Amino acid sequence: MTARDTLLVLHDLRVHFETERGIARAVDGVDLTLYRGERFGLVGESGSGKSTLLLSLLRMIREPGRIVAGSAHLEGTDLLQLDEETMRQTRLQRVAMIPQGAMNSLNPVMRVGEQIRLAITEHDEGSVADERIDDLLRRVGLPAATSGLYPHELSGGMKQRVCIAMAISLSPQLILADEPTSALDVVVQRRIMQTLAGLQNELGATVLLVGHDMGLMAQSVERLGIMYGGNIVEVGTVEEIFAAPKHPYTRQLIDSIPVFGERRDFRPIPGGAMSLLEPPTGCYFHPRCPEVMDRCRALAPDLRDTAEDHQVACWLHHQDSIDV
Amino acid sequence: MNLRGLWLYARRSPQLLVGSGMLLFLFLFGFLGSAIVDTDLARPLSATPRLPPDGHHLFGTDDAGRDLLAVMVVGVPLTLRVGFLAGSVGLGIGTLLGLIAGFVGGRTDGFIRGIVDTLLTVPGLLVLVSVASAIREEISIEIMALVVASLSWMWPTRTIRAQVLSLRGRAFVQMARLNGQGTMEIILREVLPNLLPYLAASFALAVSSATLATISLEALGLGPQNEPTVGMTLYWAISFSALLRGMWWWWAIPIGFLITLFVGLLLVAAGLDQLANPHSRRAT
Repeated sequence: MTARDTLLVLHDLRVHFETERGIARAVDGVDLTLYRGERFGLVGESGSGKSTLLLSLLRMIREPGRIVAGSAHLEGTDLLQLDEETMRQTRLQRVAMIPQGAMNSLNPVMRVGEQIRLAITEHDEGSVADERIDDLLRRVGLPAATSGLYPHELSGGMKQRVCIAMAISLSPQLILADEPTSALDVVVQRRIMQTLAGLQNELGATVLLVGHDMGLMAQSVERLGIMYGGNIVEVGTVEEIFAAPKHPYTRQLIDSIPVFGERRDFRPIPGGAMSLLEPPTGCYFHPRCPEVMDRCRALAPDLRDTAEDHQVACWLHHQDSIDV
Repeated sequence: MNLRGLWLYARRSPQLLVGSGMLLFLFLFGFLGSAIVDTDLARPLSATPRLPPDGHHLFGTDDAGRDLLAVMVVGVPLTLRVGFLAGSVGLGIGTLLGLIAGFVGGRTDGFIRGIVDTLLTVPGLLVLVSVASAIREEISIEIMALVVASLSWMWPTRTIRAQVLSLRGRAFVQMARLNGQGTMEIILREVLPNLLPYLAASFALAVSSATLATISLEALGLGPQNEPTVGMTLYWAISFSALLRGMWWWWAIPIGFLITLFVGLLLVAAGLDQLANPHSRRAT
């Protein structure tokens, strides 16, 4: 692997929700490096903190949530330290978001062209030419005439394309996508992911894709991070992770994907999602782990290199630490 | 929605069409009437008293010698004016406070909500009667409207706050924030346009309840004494026992106008409400 430009460096990012029943550690000390121009996928079950992680990069965590510690350096500037106005400008201009439910993400009473124009003018003084909006729509594979339509006149896939057009309108360096195709059928899903990948290459942007569909991830990203209980438990290239998953959780996630042409029982991961309010001691996954050891109950493993471009947080793979 | 779209919708909604027709009739009655009818006849002692309707005095005359057609031509626009003025002021205050409460939230929201909930427990008519009787001497159409408006902004505040809260949580408002839009821009461009149909329906209801409050005060004799509004005409008809003396035209005609006004407003509100709530729209 050649030396790559880093774009985003997260260090010890922590987002806590201070609820009446206690503190929920939704993001619990995440370290992550994203490179320029790559597609990175973040997978985890509901409540693993992946969406919260995305929102924290835009500083859109709502009360009672709070970013309590850590840093997020985008090309050297710490997003978490920017003042409000600079942060507002940064949204969309440098870090853009493609929403989860494109169905409701457009204003029902505004023509889509106007919505794109409004998004741009909020960052850019001066008027926006119609040609620029038509061009954006063409780039996401929509006819320019779409700009005069209202959202209810569009299909779900078209709405998602409008959202993508908005997201790329200011050529951001980082595009965050929160399950951008979860409400669409698989054919549309695939086409939209292809459009997104094409645009990303064109812009040289980095895409951080969040979801829980391992199959979709395998097709759409280059590197993968597995999240469990607010922690990243494994990071590696898609090939590495699918060929040789290290963490038992990753292994079970891959095992749970039904295989075409092979009749067998569905293999779910036993147990339920952990409580963020009362996390287990030691490794958060130990109550559900088939290979649990005494050490796992007492101490949480840290994320370490096991191979080039492959890190895992699991005692099974940390040979040096037998002496607990 | 453009005007053509509104017309297309109105054609499908008989309620809205009939209601607007009734209101239009009342406006035209006052507007055109003053061009045709001699409004001086609305003053006392300008005609023979106690005449039933005939070819000369279409609506008859009252005890004091007013021509009731002239009285209605002058009075209907006055009553409309009080209603619309009070309704707009009430709804305007309500919209402003509702937007602030819904958007700012926190302590500001608690403060506004506290005031609204407290004032809602105050019996409105009682306050109106005390205020109106205290300033009875100098009461005019405009002051009357303000007095009524002062107690008609609480419901709009409450309902609009609720609408804002529900809109604020919608994905497209979240998305606008994620795209770095400023708060003012979000209120004006994302939230307010989505509130418009609702505001239009609320406006018709606000005018209706403000008119009702005005008429109540006037029927109690607390309205502007020298203005021949519809409510004051009813007050005179009551004080001079028109019902017992068989002068049916004196009370029936103002009541007919009031029925037209209220039914018209109600139909318009119902029609606009269907526009605001597609759920209650009939499939056509």
